[in-house]
Amino acid sequence: MKHIRNFCIIAHIDHGKSTLADRLLQITGTISDREMQAQFLDSMDLERERGVTIKASAVRMNYTARDGQTYEINLIDTPGHVDFAYEVSRALKSCEGAILVVDASQGVEAQTLANLYLALEADLEIIPVINKIDLPAARPDEIAQELEDLLGIPKEQMVKVSAKTGLNVQEILEAVVSRVPPPKGDPDAPLQALIFDSHYDSYKGVIAYVRVFSGKLNARQGLRMMSTGVDYEPVEIGIFSPNMRQADSLSVGEVGYIATGLKTVRECRVGDTITLKQNPAEEPLPDYRHSKPMVFAGLYPVDAEDYPALRDALEKLQLNDASLVYEPESSQALNFGFRCGFLGLFHMDIVQERLEREYELDILATAPSVEYMVKMRSGETKIVDSPAQMPDESGIEEVLEPWMKINVFMPDDYIGVVMELVTKRRGKYLNMEYLDKKRVNVTYLIPLAELIVDFYDRLKSMTKGYASLDYQLEGYHPDRLVKMDVLVNSIPVDALAMIVHRDSAQYKGQKLVSKLKELIPRQMFVVPIQAAIGGKIISRADVKAVRKDVLSKCYGGDITRKKKLLEKQKKGKRRLKMIGSVEVPQEAFMAVLRLDDEE
Amino acid sequence: MQYSLYLHLPFCAIHCTYCAFNIFTRAQKLIPHYVRALQNELTMVQPPSEPVHTIYLGGGTPSLLAPTQIDTLLKTCQRAYTLSRDPEITMEINPGDVDQGYLESIREAGVNRLSIGMQSALPDELRLMARDHTPQAVSQVITAARKAGHTNISLDLIFGLPRQSFAAWRTTVREALSLQPDHLSMYALELEAGTALTRRVERGGLPQPDQDLCAEMYQWADSEAKQAGLIQYEISNWARPGWECRHNRQYWRYQPYLGFGAGAHGFAAGVRYEVMPDLRRYLELAGSQRERLPFPLSAAAVQSRQIDPLEAMGEYIFTGLRQVQEGVNLRDFEARFGIALAEAFPKALAKLLQSDLITLDQDRMRLTDQARLISNRVSLEFL
Repeated sequence: MKHIRNFCIIAHIDHGKSTLADRLLQITGTISDREMQAQFLDSMDLERERGVTIKASAVRMNYTARDGQTYEINLIDTPGHVDFAYEVSRALKSCEGAILVVDASQGVEAQTLANLYLALEADLEIIPVINKIDLPAARPDEIAQELEDLLGIPKEQMVKVSAKTGLNVQEILEAVVSRVPPPKGDPDAPLQALIFDSHYDSYKGVIAYVRVFSGKLNARQGLRMMSTGVDYEPVEIGIFSPNMRQADSLSVGEVGYIATGLKTVRECRVGDTITLKQNPAEEPLPDYRHSKPMVFAGLYPVDAEDYPALRDALEKLQLNDASLVYEPESSQALNFGFRCGFLGLFHMDIVQERLEREYELDILATAPSVEYMVKMRSGETKIVDSPAQMPDESGIEEVLEPWMKINVFMPDDYIGVVMELVTKRRGKYLNMEYLDKKRVNVTYLIPLAELIVDFYDRLKSMTKGYASLDYQLEGYHPDRLVKMDVLVNSIPVDALAMIVHRDSAQYKGQKLVSKLKELIPRQMFVVPIQAAIGGKIISRADVKAVRKDVLSKCYGGDITRKKKLLEKQKKGKRRLKMIGSVEVPQEAFMAVLRLDDEE
Repeated sequence: MQYSLYLHLPFCAIHCTYCAFNIFTRAQKLIPHYVRALQNELTMVQPPSEPVHTIYLGGGTPSLLAPTQIDTLLKTCQRAYTLSRDPEITMEINPGDVDQGYLESIREAGVNRLSIGMQSALPDELRLMARDHTPQAVSQVITAARKAGHTNISLDLIFGLPRQSFAAWRTTVREALSLQPDHLSMYALELEAGTALTRRVERGGLPQPDQDLCAEMYQWADSEAKQAGLIQYEISNWARPGWECRHNRQYWRYQPYLGFGAGAHGFAAGVRYEVMPDLRRYLELAGSQRERLPFPLSAAAVQSRQIDPLEAMGEYIFTGLRQVQEGVNLRDFEARFGIALAEAFPKALAKLLQSDLITLDQDRMRLTDQARLISNRVSLEFL
């Protein structure tokens, strides 16, 4: 066990984590140069394109250090995004050390710091690495100072590298060997293996990525999930090097996989503890929890015929994604679809994109919503994650909504504009600290509902891309929230309803009806669009009746061509959703997201 | 059923910015070859047994041909086909291209109807459209045409240009009516894909035409035309009673026509076809000596398709409805398709009647006045 080192890499998007991982795999000969596929650890195309790691991964490397000894080094990859904070915490928990990679020109970013705090909480040995020192804009000494101030680690202990050129990368491995402590644990105690990630394999069932904290296991022993008590016989066990390689056993301190044969990742959740059926551990490892969806939206097939295909696709995605939840939902406006819950907006984006790209589905997503706690006069509490389900105002005592604590890292020039953005969205300033002479970390509280509508994009654009953001749930608080109904030609449209703050209802109602007026094409008659609260109309705009829709010229040579134009027009109409007798285009349902265009 | 002939003359001095027709600039030296090819093509098609009652020389700019060339073409038509006793023979004329002598010669060659591309009475608008004539050229050519003995003269106007004001349109319509045409076509600008004007609008250099203003212009022009004795008989066409264009009615009544020349279309015996649009390829194909193809095709036809009955019903209605007075002839419909209109499209009829877009009586289905400018919404129900 004293020759085992388990560590992870913490880095901001684009700071070079994947490149660095590639380099480590090469130096240790884990993969040959020939096999070297750039950024090996990110196996999904989508991840590679976005430059972020969505799912963690774990690779065993053998490294012969300068002390002449050979070490078994396990690199556990962590998801780079705040939506996956719990998954990150479990991956960190499986390590004894962390490499903190910081870009030599950009310095520490919000998400890096958030993950760094998690690493410190998990009591990991931190090895700061300053990357991209080969770039002209690099200022490694300044960044080293920044890190020293931040971590209290002497500058001299920081490893300055270029993952791209390979410069000094070996020093990282030396630092891991000499500074990261070997794992501890009782090899003779009952088995406790922490699941820190999983994926679904169509032959072997769910593959659990585990770190063994006590005891050991082999492939012939019956296993048990401690949270559910489900017993099963493993299909095989093994290690990643970097592909799955069968092994006879996994012992305390080691990282590897268990092919469970289970059918869904929900039966094998991250954070759960695996033990032996015979001689089980008394206690599971601490801090097991389900990561809860925070953001909800309806996903509907554009073409109603695709409903079964959408259901199948969600089912398949869920095989690999225990955090994705969905249930059938029907909307008067959009017919049949699914209410889906996501960890965050980023998670929602990924799911949507995968449905469209991998499953070639045309889908329509309604505006995202958060989960409200509605206290009724009757004393009952209802959980509402869709504006359409908000009960009638008369029965409501109070509506509570989730608030987030956010950290924004930015150059201090932008404090003013960001403050304005945050307060405009009901946010509150909490505190501010300088990271160095120029950069600040400002903490605010803000309702999640305000955060999920375009906040990140606006933040990025108003700070020219310099700000970074991290958030976590702070709690539920009541506010004067009301449901705003939208009526198209006097018919309430469930998919357009939104929950708004009483004070901004008038403004948002006006913006929304104006936006819809632009998006809904002219019909044969005037179409009033109204926003209403509790039956009272608060704003209105009319879509004028169509005046001209004619082929002015149609002679012999035109007939075929003009008929094709009409057929195209007719086909276009089929993509419109009928609300009563009004044809509404898909974009109208996303209009709520673009109410702040004028800012 | 009588036939019509359309001869396409695709040569132009310049390319008008709104035009999406199959035309060629800088190809005028090919005109003599083209005339020979057209002659050959005219004789390549099996002549139908029924007579031809209209011929239309369209373009392009037919008035770029010399009168002798027009004469040659019409003589070929006469030789190859049986003409009715009083055929309508129309030729499109570009103002400014021709003088009285020219107009006399083509009248002698047989042309008895002129369609003059006026488009606008305002120099700015003509420039925007890249028309190569002055406003005065229109009145001059009409005077010359009357002197040359022409008694059936039509003018073309375009409205709904980007930035066009109502006042500008009033000037154009009044000027056109003061010239006392026998027939008037007024077209709302269509921004066709690939034209210079469309590109300018798409790039933001010009605004999209305002559809509400267009509708106002249309209604006003209709009442003005009516006062001048021109009655609307088609969505974009007005005429003195009895001076409606027989050739164009052929299309809207779903009657057969043969098309000749590069890019021309024809429709006969239930077949729609297109003649090779590429000029050089057309010259090769139409100039070749090959065995006759089945009616109505020539060796220069590149595409042909038999229209199935269901499709034909839709086309019949969509073209028929354009005739705002005559409408769709219900008896003719039933005779052609073996099913009554009310049986073929019960749902569409109910919906359209209910929204007051069509009227229906014993014999005819027509657009209501309010439906004239939104006729696409009506046609869609039948396609």
